[in-house]
Amino acid sequence: MSILSRLNLRPHTFSAACRVHKNRTYSTQQHAFTDLDNAPIVQLVRRKLQERSKLQSETSEDRVSAEDVARIKKIKELEQLQHAWEEWTQVAKSLQETTPLLSDSDPAMRALAEEEHASLTQELSAMVETTFPRLLIPASSTAHMSALVELRSGVGGSESSLFLGEIMRMYLRVAGSYGWKASVLSRNETENGGIKDAILEVKGEGAYDILRWESGVHRVQRVPATEANGRVHTSTVSVMVLPTSEDSEPGKDEELFKMSDVRIEVMRARGAGGQHVNKTESAVRLVHDPTGITVSMQDERSQHQNKRRAFQVLRARLMDRKLEEEMAQRRAVRKNLVRSADRSEKVRTYNYAQDRVTDHRLGWSVMNLLSVMEGDALRDILQALEEKHGEEQLEELLTE
Amino acid sequence: MRRVASRLLHVLERVLDAESAVRELRWMQEVLAGPKPSPSTSTTLEDMVARRVRGEPLQYILGTQPFGPLTLLTRAPVLIPRTETEDWAHRLAEMRQPTRHKPLSVLDLCTGSGCIPLLLCSLWAPGSTHACGVDISEDAIKLSADNARANDIAIPEKGPLPPHEFRLRDRNTFTPLLGNIRDSAFVVASGLHPPFDIITSNPPYIPKREYDELPVSVKDFEDHRALLGDPDDTVPDGRGLTFYHTIAELLNSNKLLKCDGIVALEVGAGQARDVASIMENQGGMRHTRIWNDPWGKERVVIATN
Repeated sequence: MSILSRLNLRPHTFSAACRVHKNRTYSTQQHAFTDLDNAPIVQLVRRKLQERSKLQSETSEDRVSAEDVARIKKIKELEQLQHAWEEWTQVAKSLQETTPLLSDSDPAMRALAEEEHASLTQELSAMVETTFPRLLIPASSTAHMSALVELRSGVGGSESSLFLGEIMRMYLRVAGSYGWKASVLSRNETENGGIKDAILEVKGEGAYDILRWESGVHRVQRVPATEANGRVHTSTVSVMVLPTSEDSEPGKDEELFKMSDVRIEVMRARGAGGQHVNKTESAVRLVHDPTGITVSMQDERSQHQNKRRAFQVLRARLMDRKLEEEMAQRRAVRKNLVRSADRSEKVRTYNYAQDRVTDHRLGWSVMNLLSVMEGDALRDILQALEEKHGEEQLEELLTE
Repeated sequence: MRRVASRLLHVLERVLDAESAVRELRWMQEVLAGPKPSPSTSTTLEDMVARRVRGEPLQYILGTQPFGPLTLLTRAPVLIPRTETEDWAHRLAEMRQPTRHKPLSVLDLCTGSGCIPLLLCSLWAPGSTHACGVDISEDAIKLSADNARANDIAIPEKGPLPPHEFRLRDRNTFTPLLGNIRDSAFVVASGLHPPFDIITSNPPYIPKREYDELPVSVKDFEDHRALLGDPDDTVPDGRGLTFYHTIAELLNSNKLLKCDGIVALEVGAGQARDVASIMENQGGMRHTRIWNDPWGKERVVIATN
């Protein structure tokens, strides 16, 4: 088995990073090592570690200056990479030692050497494929966050709101399969059993990072149940995935908004109120003046709970804005290859007649619509999107 | 199933606006999908809707009402906890941060479901809050005790906890007490241990004239003893202030409140100024403040020394 085919076993695993010259034929195993050793990511690792040793030589012995502290921090951050590199060097050395034995006169020795050589090569390519990328890609700042999934019906009227209900159930199911706790925070139902808009809360480690690629326009093509003459309609639902934390610490909010900027409004007149009225009037609306963001919440039976929920949504929307702004800034500073999700972009098509779901960013089609709606195939799509993101991040690193 | 729900929705829309009908129907469905809150809870959606159409309050039909982090049981005819009360009780809770080493005592007069003291017990630190709730209604006292148990708040076995025992407790406590606060002997008879740090009350405050005009869901289902501000026909002014006079007298004659204590009283529409002056003139309180409710109505009188 050639290295190339081994590298291609997992086409979605950082293929960009491990790009070796595909057209070459491998006459000797020596070439295999050279290709791995010349892979762009290995060069990047070298550069990083050169920087590290430079920093080490610059750090003064007593380690007191502010510059020293910064240097030590950077050195520390690259410590794991240094360890991985030491391992790489070890394995590479063993590989080099094995190579001459491949042409040994003793067939038994040759066989042994071939086996050894293959396993060492595999070890190196695993490092190129996964170990180095994992250590180089910066950790996600939202890795621990849960998600709010906002769904809004778009074009297509009642058909769109019927489809929204199905998309909502799809997310509830996929959340269950990941072991997350999902619930419907709010929903506006239509007369015909559809849903105009809804907000789901998906609680769990990593829920936001995995679901964030769902943001965008989801398009359905099918004959609506309400359509008498069997014509195929196209309708859309827009999805917005926002980051949220389990519980907000009071101090944390201040980074996102000032309490004095938020107007809390109750929905309707209540007459004399108090003991005079026992009708449930729990609806609340928050208006964040600086951004104009408005959140209405009325699904809970207690006003206090609605207020809590509304603040959770406000916080998530502001956090989302903040992340967007940070991304835009980074893009301005250096050429950022990591695409930001354009929320008005069509991300996926669900075609019922063809029993097909196409993800437009991956260029993939799943020829089993039900398995996407049931969550299994959606997980595959989500994983592919996450890997694509990893590749993009790595490409960005490599072009720095 | 959907057809049944849709038919029932139209039935509800005869008595409620469209949006409320959708929400109330969904809440009914959610209760039916979960464990039964009480034996009297309906088992069918048809039955629930029929009760609602007859004017029964939603909260009695559902059997519970959320109140901040608490889920309180609701049983006719005990007064249903109101949104306005939920709002100011949270605000009151923010005024103090008791700890197990600096605990507070709370007395709630006309406690009803127990919503106010139970909320304080749940918001304040464990072992920091020891509350008593007094009510004239046996139904209310039973319900408030059930609510304490349902929300994991301890009920002391031997009645009101004396202050020297506060520090021995690692949980907050609530003591429900049957008693008539207009009977001058009630403080002694109930075994209370004044003075208290916090005195709260949402006493009946609706004037007779307004009582007669109340919606069916209030007047025909909730206890008139929790609503009517002047229980005796003999009260001359008829402005619904009888209980505030009673509370002022209690404050004055029994040394019920600590010097640095707080009195928080819910009031009805247009009563705040009168109640504030009753507290100052008759109750001997030095300072009063008025809090508005979320609808901008004057709702609470806060009195301090």
